[in-house]
Amino acid sequence: MNNAPHILVIDDELQIQRAIRTILTEKGFRVTTASRGEEGLTLAATNVPDIIILDLGLPDMDGVEVCTRLREWTQCPIIILSVRDSERDKVAALDKGADDYLTKPFGIEELLARVRVALRHSTSRQGTQSKVVQAGSLVIDLAWHSVKRGDEDIKLTATEYKLLAYLAANHGRVLTHQSILANVWDPADANHTEYLRVYMRQLRKKLEVDPERPQFILTEPGIGYRFIADD
Amino acid sequence: MKSAAMRISSLISRSGQYILSMGLIASITVVLFTMRGGLDTTLIALLYLIPLGLISAYWGVGPGITSALITFFTFNYFFIPPYYTLAVHRPTDVVILVIFLVVAVVISQLVGRMQASLVAATAREREATQLYELSIALTGLHDDHAIAQILAKQVQEVSHGEYVQINITGLEPFSFRLSETASPMRSPELTVPIQAARGILGEILLWKPGPAISSGGKRLLETFASQGALALERARLAQAESRARVLEESDHLKSILLSSVSHELRTPLSTIKAAASSLRGNEVSWDSPARVELVAAIDDEADHLNMLVGNLLDMSRIESGALKPKREWNILSEIVGSVLARMRHSADEHKLEIDIAENLPFVPVDYVQMEQVFTNLVSNSLKYAPSNTLICIRANVEGDAVHVQVINQGPQVPSEHLERIFDKFYRVTAADRVTGTGLGLSICKGIIEAHGGRIWAENVPDGLAFNFTLPLIWEGVSPPNLPMDTETE
Repeated sequence: MNNAPHILVIDDELQIQRAIRTILTEKGFRVTTASRGEEGLTLAATNVPDIIILDLGLPDMDGVEVCTRLREWTQCPIIILSVRDSERDKVAALDKGADDYLTKPFGIEELLARVRVALRHSTSRQGTQSKVVQAGSLVIDLAWHSVKRGDEDIKLTATEYKLLAYLAANHGRVLTHQSILANVWDPADANHTEYLRVYMRQLRKKLEVDPERPQFILTEPGIGYRFIADD
Repeated sequence: MKSAAMRISSLISRSGQYILSMGLIASITVVLFTMRGGLDTTLIALLYLIPLGLISAYWGVGPGITSALITFFTFNYFFIPPYYTLAVHRPTDVVILVIFLVVAVVISQLVGRMQASLVAATAREREATQLYELSIALTGLHDDHAIAQILAKQVQEVSHGEYVQINITGLEPFSFRLSETASPMRSPELTVPIQAARGILGEILLWKPGPAISSGGKRLLETFASQGALALERARLAQAESRARVLEESDHLKSILLSSVSHELRTPLSTIKAAASSLRGNEVSWDSPARVELVAAIDDEADHLNMLVGNLLDMSRIESGALKPKREWNILSEIVGSVLARMRHSADEHKLEIDIAENLPFVPVDYVQMEQVFTNLVSNSLKYAPSNTLICIRANVEGDAVHVQVINQGPQVPSEHLERIFDKFYRVTAADRVTGTGLGLSICKGIIEAHGGRIWAENVPDGLAFNFTLPLIWEGVSPPNLPMDTETE
């Protein structure tokens, strides 16, 4: 049982703590909870968790601040919990190193999916990154720079490929506009979301069955994009 | 410097009057002297009274009395024997001289006093006219700035000062200056408080070099100030009244909101409570299909509750003016696409069609807020249009704006309701026959207006169309035109 992944939940709402603890324990995780930012930081330092679930609205300090302080010494995945309409805070936390976010109220299967993605990325960070990403009939080989749908090769421009490769390498995770622009283009272009919009539309046209209703590249309103691959 | 010059010029004009008076007396004396032999002494005395009367009438008491005394001596010296002395021999001449002096002095005093009262009357009349003009100009003004402007202009007109400044205190204090330049570096020559019944509302500052402002001038400015105070007070009362009306209205809306919200919130809560308690009470066996249905109901109704709370938050944000679009250059079809993808489940009884040109320019909008607009317009269409009908979303460029339409084949709305369906809680049908907070369309209106656009509804031949426009120009910039790279890897 001690080998079970350890999740630290930092949230001041006891009802949420109780619900998350019950469900995650049921799913075989080890769960520790904290209701304040300082308490959470101490717990994370004494008993290093595999994943941290962090609420942005804490009574003693700003969640973004907790995120920054954690990132000073650990790369442990952080999943942000927040209420609707705080896109700015979410983006701030993601840019400060958080890995993903969930908007309250959320369905438990969403939470579990985020936890799975976070665990996979924390292991791939330790060196076992898969070089082939499969999403439905789409196969992206990051080593060979090839993109296929079924047997058909898909021709992409250099920028389109760079964009897709960045999304696919981080599949399942939300990527903010800023991080995509900084990684695919140049940090100086981080405010030109219109580049991103145009290339994303082109990419969807080439990859998606119905570009108006995308299945692989999902828009996260006000935040960024997420690539959905098979687990 | 300037004041000294003015003082000198007024001194010159006053001494000029005396010199002219002397001249007139001298010339009359010369004329009478040439006819001395043929004229009787009493007639000469009478003839001398003519210039004295004129001098008093034109130049006032001072020159009049002075001239009277001088005439007394010249008359005695030149016309009463023995000539060229001030001595008088005949008793009748003594009587003539005394009578002449008394009459001359009395005439000049009477005429002078009349003259003075005429000047005062004219001044009073001018003051009354100026006051009348001021009060006419101030009527109907409900804006502090306009009042200050009129007041400053009139003060300048009557005082001919160098510089006029009006300071208005209150919630938004400000200073009004007639000219663009800064006020003189010294303290103003005259400060008149604008005093109202409930305290001081401001002050009039007048810079006017030269002789001290007369008490009449001060009094006039004080009257101006009190007229200004009345106008300001009237303006403030009018503002307070309209504020009170708005508050009353919002109070009324809040009570509608409370009843609407409690009804709306209770409906999904009842479903959740019923479903959860029946699951907990083991009344439904673990593997019956009813269990799946109950769990789905809890899930759906929780989403519904979340949406209601979201609508309320949006509305309060719009009301408080806190809804600030976070604009970016966006592709409209991407926004519409993600909305329709999310609504696919609830829209499976309708056909959805997107008709947006491939080359539509970027629109400078807040992605999340525009999603909200499309979600609300489409879900409104889904709610009223019968199943198996078409809902179409169109967008075209019209001048400097994009014109978007969400067209459904639902029932038409009587034209008298078309304007008002974007009002809060406004319903064409009775509230208990449809669900919703009655906020969806007013949220759309709030968002579109925050983007600088316009929203309206119109009846089309087989249904209803929601229209809105979005400006394409953002902070003076047109949509970017991005060339595509086509070279492949």
